[in-house]
Amino acid sequence: MSQVLVNGIVASCTIALVALGFGLLYRIIRFFDFSYGIIYTLAAYTTFGLAHYLKAPLGLALVLGVAFASVLACSLELFIYRPLRGRNASASVMLLASLGVYIVLQNMISLCFGNDTKVLRSGSVNVGIGFCGARITEVQVALICATAILFIVLLALLNMTKIGKAMRAVAVDSDLAAISGVPVNGTILCTFVLASVLAGICAVLVSMDTDLTPLMGMRMFMYAAVAAIAGGIESPGGIAIGALLLGMAQHFGIWVIGSQWQDAIAFLILIGCLIIRPKRFVCRG
Amino acid sequence: MKCGIYTCIIGMEYVLHIAILVGIYLILATGLNLIAGYAGLLSIAHAAFFGIGAYTAALMALNLHSPMVVNLACAVVLAGVTGAVVGGPSLRIRDDYFVVATFAFQVIVFNVLNNWVSFTGGPMGLPGIPQPSLFGWTISSHTAFLLLVGCCCVAVLWICQRIVHSPFGRVLKAIREDEVLAQCAGKNVAAYKVLVFMIGAAMAAVAGVLYAHYISFIDPTSFTVMESIFILSIVIIGGAGSPWGPVIGAVVLVTLPELLRFVGLPSAVAANVRQILYGAALVACMMWRPQGLLGQYTFQKGGSRQ
Repeated sequence: MSQVLVNGIVASCTIALVALGFGLLYRIIRFFDFSYGIIYTLAAYTTFGLAHYLKAPLGLALVLGVAFASVLACSLELFIYRPLRGRNASASVMLLASLGVYIVLQNMISLCFGNDTKVLRSGSVNVGIGFCGARITEVQVALICATAILFIVLLALLNMTKIGKAMRAVAVDSDLAAISGVPVNGTILCTFVLASVLAGICAVLVSMDTDLTPLMGMRMFMYAAVAAIAGGIESPGGIAIGALLLGMAQHFGIWVIGSQWQDAIAFLILIGCLIIRPKRFVCRG
Repeated sequence: MKCGIYTCIIGMEYVLHIAILVGIYLILATGLNLIAGYAGLLSIAHAAFFGIGAYTAALMALNLHSPMVVNLACAVVLAGVTGAVVGGPSLRIRDDYFVVATFAFQVIVFNVLNNWVSFTGGPMGLPGIPQPSLFGWTISSHTAFLLLVGCCCVAVLWICQRIVHSPFGRVLKAIREDEVLAQCAGKNVAAYKVLVFMIGAAMAAVAGVLYAHYISFIDPTSFTVMESIFILSIVIIGGAGSPWGPVIGAVVLVTLPELLRFVGLPSAVAANVRQILYGAALVACMMWRPQGLLGQYTFQKGGSRQ
């Protein structure tokens, strides 16, 4: 029971990190950016490649992996999304383009690393620390701490700094922000970096705790989308609560009916949210 | 000499096999074209309906030994009803959320096919689906099957044409271009959307039934999200909102990757390269030619930002 609780909290933290980045990105760019899922996978695989093949120290590999993922996200924005936005492309066009990007990059990762499961852990499996009758590994503790710290940093950044203010301005009305002298394109680029860093750190920690597959990003992306939509995509606090609910629901669901239904639980929650609270998602513009 | 004839026969079988696959994807893409191209609803749940059709046919053929026509009717009805159940609530929500809702449905269907082992066979799939027989005539050769698939293609394309040129089709296009305007003109937008979603789903089920009887073995990996995205790519690259767009798209996207075989790539690599190609084609399409090869619709509502 307490183990289920601990697992639920750890899962909530991972989902929360990605969902915060996803929500931030969605508020600014206004479409479901599927390539965000591959940024997550890519950060994990770059770290794995550096640590495993080049024998880089894990800390350095983490930093480089996250940096590489951020650079890639920026180049996607510069070469694909920005030109599309310049042509006033609709959300559907942007979404389809990001879906194409996702497919290309995921298959490139499959080609380079293979489809099988990879492990970033060094040494033997760690049983972890006993904690109120449950077991928790050091990486999971790090993950929870990282989530707490990054959440506070993100809130501070959004509410107290100039760039945070610019992000909120662009999120509310990008045309008005541009007129008021906010560098819209630069702000969007910063958002991509910030979201990639959140996803990247989460991806590396998760892959240290469990394992890596080329499909990990898509799965996490969809969980993040579910959490963000369930909690309310506009506010970081809501997203955190959504992530907590989703993580708990999944792990108590696993406990009751079995782990193979994990995805189905998440998506039933999503469909439930969309049906019950449609007023925020209705078609009227 | 004998060896040469043998290769020739094998080669012929191979060409027929590809032609049958093109036909099946053509039916799938035509159904999705009605939903995405004419009504402007981006759905990534098409492989789910494809799977519902295939599993209905397979389970009925294996457990009830029913003839193909009965399987087909049941699969079409079941997929249509599922389409209404899914489409009803999710079509009330905005475009991009609709994509996520269909994605969710797709994942749930895959989960059920994969995990309900006692009913669907789970990851092991359902082997030994019998060859179809129509009016006492068993369809066993590739040629006969191609004929059957061809007839279905013609029927589906004909239905699609009739729908598009009917008042119903014109309302669909009006909804695509300007939903509020269509509503102001007194059209029940929600009902039209659900209906077209049902028709598209039913067409996918037809393809599913053909697929199950043709391949004679189905497993959940044929009905994944990636398959849905592939079908959507066929529609978009071929040209959404044009009757011949999905035809061109199916021919190009199904046959071109087969050329990779002749380059001599190992099949594991070829699968990835094939997906990279169509992913890149999708991005390129969105960048430079959002209406696809033959299409009329660019996924741009009313020519301006909504």
